[in-house]
Amino acid sequence: MNQDQYRILSKRFDRRDGHKLAAYEADGGYRSLKRAVGELGAPAVREEVKASGLRGRGGAGFPAGVKWGFVPQGAETVYFMVNADESEPGTFKDRLLLDYDPHAVIEGSAISSFAVGAKLCVIYIRGEFGWLVDRVQKAVDEAYAAGYLGPGAFGGAYELEMIVHKGAGAYICGEETGLINSVTGQKGQPNIKPPFPAVSGFLGKPTIVNNVETVAAVPWILEHGAAAYRRFGTEKSPGTKLFSVSGPVRRPGVHEIPLGLPFREFFTDWLGGMADGEELKAVIMGGSSVPVLTAAEAMETALDYESLAAAGTMLGSGGMIIIPARCDMVELIQVLMHFYWDESCGQCTPCREGTGWLHRIVKRLRRGEGAPEDLALLERVCDGMAGLTICPLADAAVMPMRSFLQRFRPEFEALAAGRRATEPDSRWAREIRS
Amino acid sequence: MVKVTIDGTELEFAAGTSLFDACRAARGEALPHFCYHPDLSVAGVCRLCQVEVEGMPKLTIACNTTVREGMVVHTRSEKVRRAAQQILEMHLINHPVDCPICDQAGECGLQDQYMTYGLYESEVGQSDKVHKAKVQVIGPRVVLDKERCVLCSRCVRFCDEVTRTGELGIFNRGDRAEIGVAPGLQLDNAYSLNTVDICPVGALTSLDFRFKKRVWLLRSTPTLCHGCATGCNVRVDHEAGTVYRLKPRRNAAVNGAWMCDEGRDTYRPLHADSRLREPLLRRDGALRPATWPEAWSALAAAVGVAAPLGAAVVSPRQTLEEIALFAHLAAALGAPTAGVSGGPREADRGEGDDLLRSADRAPNRGSLAWLGLAEPTGADLAARAREARGAVLVYGADPAADAPGWREAVAGRTVIHLGTHLSATAEAADIVIPLSAWAEKDGLLVNRQGRVQASRRAIARPGLALEDWRFLADWLAAAGATDVPSSLPDLRRWVAGRVPALAGVDLAVLPPEGLIPDAVAAGSGGER
Repeated sequence: MNQDQYRILSKRFDRRDGHKLAAYEADGGYRSLKRAVGELGAPAVREEVKASGLRGRGGAGFPAGVKWGFVPQGAETVYFMVNADESEPGTFKDRLLLDYDPHAVIEGSAISSFAVGAKLCVIYIRGEFGWLVDRVQKAVDEAYAAGYLGPGAFGGAYELEMIVHKGAGAYICGEETGLINSVTGQKGQPNIKPPFPAVSGFLGKPTIVNNVETVAAVPWILEHGAAAYRRFGTEKSPGTKLFSVSGPVRRPGVHEIPLGLPFREFFTDWLGGMADGEELKAVIMGGSSVPVLTAAEAMETALDYESLAAAGTMLGSGGMIIIPARCDMVELIQVLMHFYWDESCGQCTPCREGTGWLHRIVKRLRRGEGAPEDLALLERVCDGMAGLTICPLADAAVMPMRSFLQRFRPEFEALAAGRRATEPDSRWAREIRS
Repeated sequence: MVKVTIDGTELEFAAGTSLFDACRAARGEALPHFCYHPDLSVAGVCRLCQVEVEGMPKLTIACNTTVREGMVVHTRSEKVRRAAQQILEMHLINHPVDCPICDQAGECGLQDQYMTYGLYESEVGQSDKVHKAKVQVIGPRVVLDKERCVLCSRCVRFCDEVTRTGELGIFNRGDRAEIGVAPGLQLDNAYSLNTVDICPVGALTSLDFRFKKRVWLLRSTPTLCHGCATGCNVRVDHEAGTVYRLKPRRNAAVNGAWMCDEGRDTYRPLHADSRLREPLLRRDGALRPATWPEAWSALAAAVGVAAPLGAAVVSPRQTLEEIALFAHLAAALGAPTAGVSGGPREADRGEGDDLLRSADRAPNRGSLAWLGLAEPTGADLAARAREARGAVLVYGADPAADAPGWREAVAGRTVIHLGTHLSATAEAADIVIPLSAWAEKDGLLVNRQGRVQASRRAIARPGLALEDWRFLADWLAAAGATDVPSSLPDLRRWVAGRVPALAGVDLAVLPPEGLIPDAVAAGSGGER
């Protein structure tokens, strides 16, 4: 099977100069932007993207065209922001787009900005991606020089200003209102909604925030049409999706697949199965926040929004973590709970206190100081967090915690009975602060 | 108006009403909460006020929801109760249970809500607690305990939105988040103690009040601050005749929910050593304690038919009833009309701002105008005293300190001082009459808006001091007047009948927010 036929977003990933304007233009780059501005006009662009069924690739999977439609009619000032704060454990797909195909991101951002009527676009890149800030800035400079951005672009028909903004290193700034606050210079923490940013966002004006991968798909959709895009994927999950795969498989890394692909096929044909001597135990399908599946559950599902929801998990960001049999699930959840404890912004009480509490209980279990009641306590703490906060970070911690407990309970029970973790801490666990 | 059903009862609310306030009205008590405050922006972070709104998939916080037509809300369902319990537990897991040494105990949101929503069985090991810094003095009046803080952000919002001074912030994130003062700053604004009031727990406490009194021993009297012309509505907290603190009472028309730090200090003079506890008479060149019969005899000898009063001065710190009765008394004692005045005009002035503090530090200057009493400068006052024939009567004011030339002007004359403290004027007087300080009596004040508000007695008078209006009425009767008010309501009716600004006003039934008489609102309330 030719896996390359699905490479819409990743087609320049393995080209030496794919990140440069010349290579992008040679591939027909910026034609879609020209056509959008010169021929189609914003309403037609919105319609085309809506018709494509393109769903937000940041994790929530909300249809991009519908989100664009939330900007109030007749809004004078609209801002567009690209969410490149990719920081969910297991997720590393946007960084490839930024690294190897920045012009696709820029063109997609420009078209999306045009579609929602924005004159300013901010690409928000997480602070740890310092070299990508430089990479994207160079590409933006090229686009300005080539007359795609800035004053005088398109003969004055559409003069978009594009700013590359470097975050200061907070997972929560990937939440769109947290991102907007961070750009504004405020503490990066989410706002209560309503109002939603499409109505009142950056500087109180309507603001649309889209993921890098979402906007990167837009030029292709305009060039080939919504119908062509819908030839990939399923009816409700159209198109292709990048999966960033980590774990001991033969071919880890970023793979672009048509949505709806059975996991079994992806695992076997794309990933080449487990590496020698490894056995599949569990899979985190869409980034560390989604519920874990056992190997058996994973093998029965397919990689699209609906199938994964039916399997009790989520497609999320496509950050797939392949967990081998030798992995201690309690150790793994300790790593994840450390992450959410560390990254909680601290605004909402259930998240601020709950993430820390979960982390401390799991740590205690692994020290051999646990008690059988601790499992029920973990579940109860999860109950006190889920759905009760401003943003979904609390849920993001609860979903793995609950699913690990539910699907790998014996490993927790063994520790709760007072047994200390026998295996020496792996490199993962040593790296985290105790 | 929109119709909303809350816990099975359909009620009507104005469009735009916060669901939090609607629930408070429907339930007769507020939903559990820490971060909501009616005079601050909505933060939505404590997550306690979750309610069930039919048609919404998840519980929703009432504070960030406005009422909608046809909304059906449940505030007492098991789901809501369970959420409140769970969230309160989250508030408590890292809270030090140091209530026995915490000043907030007894008026603590955590304690109060725990009574209703507590789980009563701790599942948090001591080793699981996150510890933070305690006892940090963050300004001249406020102490911070970061460990007790529930991070409701009220204090931060107060400094951002009300005083706009921005001293406070929440630093760090997750369960390491803590309230702190911006680098290089102190919490040192004119309203800093409001942060202590709105702190729902013992994280912010008052340096002044700390460890002075357990709050459940205090009794509260709703009254007014007498510190300036704003007339902030306050509560005086006292026990056994001692006032321990002032707290603001909410009056949207006057002070919102706030008061200034300076106003909170106004309880101190009540218990000063210089308080007058008994009449003083000058004998052999010195003021010596006297009995009331001796004092009355001295007054009768100093002022009478044979010796009319020369001049009378009253402070705008006295109440409306007192000033009116005093002016009447002065006239009855023979003082010339021009000789009865307020003043000196320069007295009781200070620094004002556009929030609450009036530069006019007298709480009742409005009454002088309503009663047609002039307010001469200190120099003019001294000149009037010099020209007057007969004794000089000073009520509340301290011209010996505030009016240049006063001492010389009254040299060799009989000076009668009615007051509360051994002021410069009292020290130089011949007859000193001990009366009641602001917290020891009832009375009306007219604030800078022309609003009449009631001040109430909180504590007893010291020693032999009298209630002002009774002393004035007794003197009036002793001087032979027949129309002497016999009770405070009687006095108020008498005052209302004498003041044009109060035409048609029934001073016996003032609304809670006070009252601006129609004549004043229309701009004809006399010279302002």
